[in-house]
Amino acid sequence: MNRISRGVVTSVACAAFAAVSFAPISLAQSTSGSSSTAKEQWIHVRVESTEDKGETVRVNVPVEMAEKVLPAINKDNLRNGKVHIDSAHMDDVDFRALLDAVRTSKDGEYVTVQSRENDVRVAKNNGYLYVYVTEKPSAKSTAKSETGKPNSAKVSKVEVKVPMKVVDALFSAGKDELDIVAALRALSANGDTELVNVKDSENTVRVWIDSRNVAD
Amino acid sequence: MLIIAKIALGFGATLAAGGVYVFHEGVINVDVDEFRPGGSHVHVWVPATAVSLGMRVVPRHHLEHAASQVQPFLPVLREIAKELKRYPNAKFVEVKDATDYVFIGTVDGKIRIDAVSDNETVHLRIPVETVEDVADRLEADAPTI
Repeated sequence: MNRISRGVVTSVACAAFAAVSFAPISLAQSTSGSSSTAKEQWIHVRVESTEDKGETVRVNVPVEMAEKVLPAINKDNLRNGKVHIDSAHMDDVDFRALLDAVRTSKDGEYVTVQSRENDVRVAKNNGYLYVYVTEKPSAKSTAKSETGKPNSAKVSKVEVKVPMKVVDALFSAGKDELDIVAALRALSANGDTELVNVKDSENTVRVWIDSRNVAD
Repeated sequence: MLIIAKIALGFGATLAAGGVYVFHEGVINVDVDEFRPGGSHVHVWVPATAVSLGMRVVPRHHLEHAASQVQPFLPVLREIAKELKRYPNAKFVEVKDATDYVFIGTVDGKIRIDAVSDNETVHLRIPVETVEDVADRLEADAPTI
């Protein structure tokens, strides 16, 4: 009897030891799990293609993770979270003056280009910069259309919506630099936003930011 | 009789404690299957502790050589590992089409990479802690400028 009770005590002690040894891992996991459920922003990219195999691509990246990891990457033009732009491409245009002019201007449509191939619109509204590009079907394919009307299925539309604060943050570094990390911070602070939407007959591309950790 | 029981008990307890220690960092799991004649089938389960311990016993000059080669990527690796710990269950990349499937994410604190196609499947599970350990260890052995 004594031996049995001693065996039971030893078994219980072993089990307790095992439980205590594993506890830090499970505790750490549950703590870190709860930290990721806090209100934090994720950038989502979703590409859906109806071509051949019907490919779907989903990318979800926590903004905070991107903010931390980007400065650690030092490769080519990307240094410390900033992209260096060759000054040869920046000399002709004073982006800061241009940006300042857009920021201080009233809301409205700044650029409208209409041509046979494309319609382009650039506008500012409620602190957001909008770029709309509609690519029309080529003259050749329009001519082939049976009805004689423009072939709407071949029209591709690009919509870009960027908060002005993000644009400001992007150009907040030196003259020839784009501060990606600052832009990400501004983007995160801005809340849920649909950034890019591209649609054509075969592909849909969406880039947006929200507090959910999975794409819908 | 009693002495044998005591020895058995001690042995069992040591074995249990050893098991707990060996597996407390989790298990690295690599599965590769090639679906073709003569294709390779690799299934490896390694306690993550073995990697940490292994890096401590590898001759220093070998580790220095490896560290010098991956040195530019170590800050990124360490930063990613540190951040991944905050997302124990997350889908980062998912690509699907009629025949192929790719998944990169974390499941229960492990990095999970799956690539499935008609020709081959690859499944990889690595505890995030292990990646951080390896990055730290290599960084400590990387030659300083």
